[in-house]
Amino acid sequence: MAISPLQSQALPAAARFFADRGVFGLVWIDDQLIVRWTYGHLAAFIGVGRPLAETVLAFVGSEDEILGFKADPSQSLELPGVAIVMAPDARDRVNLSLFYDPKQGCYMLLVACATLDATLEFEVVRHVRARLIAEADTSLKARELLRANRDLEQFAAIVSHDLKAPMRALQYLTEDMEAAASRGDPSQLRAQLAQVKSHANRMSSMLSGLLEYSSVGRKAMAVETVDTRTLAEVIAFSIPFGTGITTTVTGDWPQIETLRAPLDLVLRNLVDNAVKHHDRDAGRVELACTSDGQELTIRVIDDGPGIAPEHRAAVFLPFRTLADPGRPTAYLSPNHSFGIGLGLALVQRTVESIGGQIVLLPNASGSRGTTFEVRWPRELSTTVLLA
Amino acid sequence: MSGVAAYKVMLLGDIGVGKSSLARRLAFDRFTSDYKPTIGVEIYDHHLPSVGGTPVRLIIWDTDGNFGDAVLRHVYVKQAAAAMIIADRTRPETVSAMLRLGDGFAQMLPGRSIQYIVNKCDLPSADGIDTVLAGLPAGTSLILTSAFDGTNVAEAFQETAAAIKRRGY
Repeated sequence: MAISPLQSQALPAAARFFADRGVFGLVWIDDQLIVRWTYGHLAAFIGVGRPLAETVLAFVGSEDEILGFKADPSQSLELPGVAIVMAPDARDRVNLSLFYDPKQGCYMLLVACATLDATLEFEVVRHVRARLIAEADTSLKARELLRANRDLEQFAAIVSHDLKAPMRALQYLTEDMEAAASRGDPSQLRAQLAQVKSHANRMSSMLSGLLEYSSVGRKAMAVETVDTRTLAEVIAFSIPFGTGITTTVTGDWPQIETLRAPLDLVLRNLVDNAVKHHDRDAGRVELACTSDGQELTIRVIDDGPGIAPEHRAAVFLPFRTLADPGRPTAYLSPNHSFGIGLGLALVQRTVESIGGQIVLLPNASGSRGTTFEVRWPRELSTTVLLA
Repeated sequence: MSGVAAYKVMLLGDIGVGKSSLARRLAFDRFTSDYKPTIGVEIYDHHLPSVGGTPVRLIIWDTDGNFGDAVLRHVYVKQAAAAMIIADRTRPETVSAMLRLGDGFAQMLPGRSIQYIVNKCDLPSADGIDTVLAGLPAGTSLILTSAFDGTNVAEAFQETAAAIKRRGY
């Protein structure tokens, strides 16, 4: 499961303040009750990557009850004044408060200092917990607002810059057509009309692509069981015959609960991209996957011409096409987004909308080929599902 | 020790009956004469190499005797597989408390194993205690222990683990 974003980016300031001063420790636990991350020295005794009950003995026997919190997040388990005695003289006591945070999609354990007045301490823990949840909520909303603002700025830039070029071309063409009509030159007029049609089609494609791009992450989709190997094989073997490109699917492709359409879109676009931009009569594209408890790491590897270092930073920007118009391509994708340079932008936005990441891996010096690495979370956070 | 069945066992009883001393004798084979009342709960991890042929892990919850009968309504007792309820052989009132806690535990968590323990058997028994104990219903699981010299301590926990396994908890 994905236990970000709080753990790595946005640990609320209040939580960090108290945890850094040893007032309490924070523990993030996935829904298999495996400890995924701890913060603060009070939680340092808890083993990361191990079952919660294995290191916090107080939870032995309560696993089923805890799993039920996911269905009813109003419940919590609060154990005051607990000392786990591993040595004859060790009697350090802590207050334990375990709850499910639906906003982060994981369980959280607060390990608080315990003195003599457990009632008072638990009142403090309750306040800290409420604050933590409230700040997490604010933090998520702030991030969503940032994303919305970034989208708006990107849209403004695209509309003002990228759509202006074909619009300007249309303006010049109509002026030329007026001149051709005045001269009585029908053949010139016909040629320019064809260009007007071409520019209009391109603008239409760009607008359709923009609509598609803007809707990523905002469509209601159902989580379903996806056999990722079958999905990858269907995509790999759907490349039209005669391209000269050999596709292979390698590695460990598990069955996961996820959104099928976005995963299909991402893999299909990456494979299509690799095939489309291949510059030789024969080549290969490999879809490789490894997985762990949290995510799938999928690589789409080709032996095409690669992407020049000076263009690598721009590959995910909308309406940036790096293809050399004069270079032959083995196969032209029916996906109109490619023709206008939206394919990789769409892929990146889709991956990020489900909480994953995509990167273009660096090439060894002088080597050919391109490798895109997609990190696809095994489990979608509640935030994604509610988006 | 993942893969080994782990069971939560409550140590209940009046203040000063020797709950912590029994837990420490079991866990560390040690007895300390300086009495420190337990505040909250102390949890011990004890591995039994063979209970009916398989290893068992007991997670022993040594509770604060100040709770009295209210401990049965406390979150500490939730999901317990068994209770070991302790009295002090030298104080008759602790036997009454033991039996009351036993009845309460059976009502709160029906079907769970209850092991009654009369501790401090290295000391002379108070007047009338043996008569009370002799009058317990047939089938009551009772064992005399001494945390001081270790008498029957390991046996009491072994018997509790066996009872948990028999009952399937």
